[in-house]
Amino acid sequence: MSDSGLSRRGFLSGATIGVGGALAADMRGVNGLRAEELAGELRRGEKHVILLWLAGGASQLETWDPKPGSKTGGPFGAISTNVAGIQVSELLPKLAQRMHLTAVIRSLNTKIADHGRGADLMERGRLDDPGLRYPDLGAVAARELGRLESTVPDYVSLYTSTEGRRKGTSGFLGARYAPLFLAENMAPPNSALHERLTAAEHQDRAALRDLLSKRFAAEHRSSTVGSLNSAYQRVQGMMASAGLFNIEQEPAEVRARYGPTQFGEQCLIARRLVEAGVPFVKVARAWWDSHGQNFETHLELCADLDHCMSVLLDDLQERGLLEKTLVITLGEFGRTPGINASLGRDHFASAWSCSLSGMGIRGGVVYGATDAEGHTVTDGEASAADLFATILQALGIDHTHEYMVGARPTPLADFGSKPIQAVLA
Amino acid sequence: MNSDASAHLRSCVSAAAGGLVPRHRFSGLLIGLLLAAALLLFPCSQPAIAQSPTELPLELQIDASIDQQNSTAGVPAVEQADADTLLRRTTLDLAGRIPTAKERDWYLALPAQTRQQLLVDRLLQLPDFDFHLRNSLDELLLPERPNDGEFREYLLTAVRERRPWSRMFREMLMASSVDGPDKGAAQFLKSRVRELDDLTNDTAVLFFGVNISCAKCHDHPLVSDWKQDHYYGMQAFFQRTFSSKKNVLLENPLGSVRFKTTAGEDRDAKFMFLTGAVVADATPTLTDEEKKAIEEQVRRLEREDDAQPITVSFSPRQALIETALADQQLYLARNIVNRTWARLLGTGFVDPPDQMHSGNPASHPQLLSDLAADFVQHDYDLRRLIRGIVLSRTYARSSRWTSEAAPPAAQTFAVAAARPLTPRQLAASLQIAVRSSDSWPSVEETLAKPDDWLKRRTDIENQAGAWMREFEQPAADFQIAVDEALFFSNSDRVQSDLLRDGGDRLVGALRSAETPELAAAELWRVVCGREPSAEEIEVVRGWLARAPERRVSDMQSLVWALLAGAEFRFNH
Amino acid sequence: MRPNDEPTPSATEAATPAQEPPAAATAAFLPAKITVDRTVRLPSMTFCMARHQPSGRVFCGGADFGLHHFDPAAEKPETKTLSESRHSSYVTGLVNSGGTLISGGYDKSLIWWNAESGEQIRRIEAAHGRWIRALAVSPDGTRLASVGDDMKTQIRDAATGDCLLTLEGYEQQTPHGFPSMLYTVVFSADGSRIATGNRTGRVLVRDVQSGEILQTIEAPVMYTWDPRARRHSIGGIRSLAFSPDGSLLAVGGMGQVGNIDHLEGKSRVEVFRVATGERLYEIEDSKYKGLVEKLQFSADQKWLLAAGGDHGGFLSIWSMETGKLLVQEKVGSHLHDFELLSDRTLVTVGHEQASLITLA
Repeated sequence: MSDSGLSRRGFLSGATIGVGGALAADMRGVNGLRAEELAGELRRGEKHVILLWLAGGASQLETWDPKPGSKTGGPFGAISTNVAGIQVSELLPKLAQRMHLTAVIRSLNTKIADHGRGADLMERGRLDDPGLRYPDLGAVAARELGRLESTVPDYVSLYTSTEGRRKGTSGFLGARYAPLFLAENMAPPNSALHERLTAAEHQDRAALRDLLSKRFAAEHRSSTVGSLNSAYQRVQGMMASAGLFNIEQEPAEVRARYGPTQFGEQCLIARRLVEAGVPFVKVARAWWDSHGQNFETHLELCADLDHCMSVLLDDLQERGLLEKTLVITLGEFGRTPGINASLGRDHFASAWSCSLSGMGIRGGVVYGATDAEGHTVTDGEASAADLFATILQALGIDHTHEYMVGARPTPLADFGSKPIQAVLA
Repeated sequence: MNSDASAHLRSCVSAAAGGLVPRHRFSGLLIGLLLAAALLLFPCSQPAIAQSPTELPLELQIDASIDQQNSTAGVPAVEQADADTLLRRTTLDLAGRIPTAKERDWYLALPAQTRQQLLVDRLLQLPDFDFHLRNSLDELLLPERPNDGEFREYLLTAVRERRPWSRMFREMLMASSVDGPDKGAAQFLKSRVRELDDLTNDTAVLFFGVNISCAKCHDHPLVSDWKQDHYYGMQAFFQRTFSSKKNVLLENPLGSVRFKTTAGEDRDAKFMFLTGAVVADATPTLTDEEKKAIEEQVRRLEREDDAQPITVSFSPRQALIETALADQQLYLARNIVNRTWARLLGTGFVDPPDQMHSGNPASHPQLLSDLAADFVQHDYDLRRLIRGIVLSRTYARSSRWTSEAAPPAAQTFAVAAARPLTPRQLAASLQIAVRSSDSWPSVEETLAKPDDWLKRRTDIENQAGAWMREFEQPAADFQIAVDEALFFSNSDRVQSDLLRDGGDRLVGALRSAETPELAAAELWRVVCGREPSAEEIEVVRGWLARAPERRVSDMQSLVWALLAGAEFRFNH
Repeated sequence: MRPNDEPTPSATEAATPAQEPPAAATAAFLPAKITVDRTVRLPSMTFCMARHQPSGRVFCGGADFGLHHFDPAAEKPETKTLSESRHSSYVTGLVNSGGTLISGGYDKSLIWWNAESGEQIRRIEAAHGRWIRALAVSPDGTRLASVGDDMKTQIRDAATGDCLLTLEGYEQQTPHGFPSMLYTVVFSADGSRIATGNRTGRVLVRDVQSGEILQTIEAPVMYTWDPRARRHSIGGIRSLAFSPDGSLLAVGGMGQVGNIDHLEGKSRVEVFRVATGERLYEIEDSKYKGLVEKLQFSADQKWLLAAGGDHGGFLSIWSMETGKLLVQEKVGSHLHDFELLSDRTLVTVGHEQASLITLA
């Protein structure tokens, strides 16, 4: 059983769902740390996830599950990788040479093929229930892998494109685990001290705010009220970590290696953040939604993905970080095997692929299969919940661990999910 | 509690007898009824409550129902909020902003028994009310487009003219005005016209309180009320809606929704409302040639600016409107009553508000039904509903909870909720809070020169529009993100605009205050709408004693500390 | 708009005009109606076509990697497959050179076919380093030009396949660090010049003999790049046509696109004077969206025929005297290619369908 022991259930059962949510997130604070948790606490800040989010839905046929020569295969060929027997699309030549680091799942059947709910599902591993908003993977990772007193953000989301831009949600875990969301620039907004304030004035002013807010907070103990004070508690740490976003601090040759595209720069930021102890970084690359000109879109975007992810894997490996960092490619769904009159592929969630590299992953593995034209999963069908269970297991997190939300035990990965052991190290 | 209740009732009765409630036609008979109702508040008279409370003022119906249920369940209610808190709460809820210090002076000078009613009736007359109700409806109906000018203009016009909700519903779903201020009514549909599922589900969620999206692929797994027939039945009302090249919403005389049932059977959807009521398609039978001509005309309308407009003999959307307005289960009314209650009390009778179905019963089903029936009887008058709610003792409860025990559940409404301000409420309140108490007109001046106030309030509204983007719209279990704290802590907009020094600015007033005590009083009156406590005065003394020369930056820090504080951030 | 006092393009700009301009006294044929007479079902998405002579059959290639053909004169044309041997990817270029068919495709290869037997006469693997996007054959049938995403243009002896010239001159990457593409190539009517167009909107006009660049024309609107919100591009120059006298060059593609997930830009044609690079017409279609995939001038140079599409296909005919629309029509799905059979009939190919069309 999880750490949601009887005493906690008893403690929380009287609370309403709304308040209970925050309490669930803050239980360590409420009850103090048990010995095994303390040991876990010391290891915190050492495991990381970089989620390369292919927003709009990348085509599995042009990436991990090519079907060259078939009616649906499109114009691209398949190429051999450095793992015997595994082929990927010719658009990923560099990743093909790093196949030994990566496990591919070709058998996702997630059913939902509209952007909004598809993204909800793939970010959270399940859809919200009425009255219960689930946290996304980033928030769960922040909660499970981050240090409570961390001076760095624990969930960073880089999402500078507009398509399907989503901030991410910490759901019932509350604002403490909400993402630091970078939408406009590659530096966190409002993270620098104002020119007319000294650092001492800034800190004194914050202390004054805390003092004057204390009584109100004591008399209004809701999670929402609490979230305001929590947010102000983190301001100093967030300001201190702003330099992590400045890639000018990297040597020129490192920057050159990642290349000139924004995706490359963001991958470099992700590596810097991970190196500094940030548990979860999401780099979203949008405009994979290729209803028209699918092949040209993938020519353009796969070149970017292939190069940047390859450099990222190499860089993490050279720094000894890859064994502690799980790199994921995932989007809200894949794309139809059928090709439309605009030479596009449309939304498709019935048989598509994702990749897992690095921490906890058995590299050089392909799990699951689709039929000759890619219409259906023929082997190893996996749901969003199964994928989440797999990811959590790779990170050494028990996916059956339960949070208490009000009186409702809620497992980290949805009820009935099963980790895909074949891709786990 | 019961003595409180009867005292409140007596005060209402005497106020009514004294003619202080001009909006109601009170008769001797009604007073008798009121007194009878006071007796009903005692638990022993429970069974009588549900029988015929409809002639009572809404606020008494509300309190009777809430108190009775809590009394039965043994839930203790907290005391009434103090005058300052209630003024701030009511002003935020009706005017969309905090009160000015001048308004507070006026309010505190009123007789305690009647001032809430006088306040409410004053606020209902102010342009502030129209702005705020407009904003609330805008946030509800077009959440993805917070600055749709046409839609906002329409809502403001409708609210100013006190149009019934039923009429607004009709205008938004008919979308027939192509010119003038009502043109924007079409934005509800236009913004969703590209996605039939959005038209279908958003209409069901926002106007009827029903989320039937799970019934799209299969009969709803958890809610026996909702079948695929309901989802596609609702969709059928919108399936023929399309947007012309000139961006006018039209209906195609042809078209039907066909869906596959979970049993694999192909089925044509009927025009079916949530209640199961079905409307027949009154479109005359057309020949294949006529159909072809219509298809061609629709195609031209979608592609060409100068295409001939199309007319329909049967409008599915109009059928939906008529069906909804004739609905005896009052989905339309119950939804807006529940949502209005949730907006003013923090939680709806039905929560979440889009889960109005048998599996998720209302906390106070009879009260919800009574309020909905009253709403319909009084021509869907939102003002009457809002007025009734904010005059209730339930609304006026304190939000403070100091006991070690867990607070009562939200749906008991035994403790007021601390509700985060909406982005527009927060932005408008900031505009009030950064100016000195003297910079605002008195209530008397506002009454004498309503146009001046309208102009001033319009300025605030416009400024708020430019600030609101910095804040997030609250949702269920809302959490304030570190982004907002960073914005308040470090942005130039806060430092250079909100904290600006100057004659009419709060920072300027604090700088010229002669003593720390006077500075503290001005600061708390303006920002928090109350007097500072002794401890708070002490904090100010200590703060200013660090550098006795009254530096601007010290005053700015004081103002900042309260603006960024929890008390200001919430409606409590 | 073209000013009235503008001199009409002089014949001196073209070394040897392929055709005499029509006699002034002849009333010019200006199409006012486009009629789809018949359609022919094709086995896959079809990107290119060529009319074989002397058989008169229409050959086409596309997404099933193979070549197919039908008789456009037949009452009910039946599609036949030329050969079981195929390219190994999409077929995107097909020309007829003295009775021999030459195809090129995304498999980077060029194949010479016997149009009767279906036998492969010659196959050049990896003719280009990346996808072959288009082929063109000189009017006399002796030269084959090919363009590919290696951003190279090759001139070959059409009979032997020998590569005579390999022309560079385009950047491999877009200014934003993504792979560029070289979509289209055409010969002038006298065979002396070729024009090529790339993704970012650059046209190079060159001498076929020397490869020398004679003119550079920019049509940047054809390329949509959103530097802020999307960081992704769409568009490019998809079609080119010299006027019969060689003085004008029409450039086809799509206008700027908002949502670049879809081909939702207005279909677009720009017409330039080759000698000066001056733009004569800038035509954005108010009705049809999508890429202009093929352009051709009428023999008398009075109008320009444009075909393309988004999901749907269109044919538009623009007056080259005014730059205004003469007539346009929706034709099936996205059109990729066409060829005039006479001055009033043509065959189009597109998404799984060919159409036989009459102009009136």
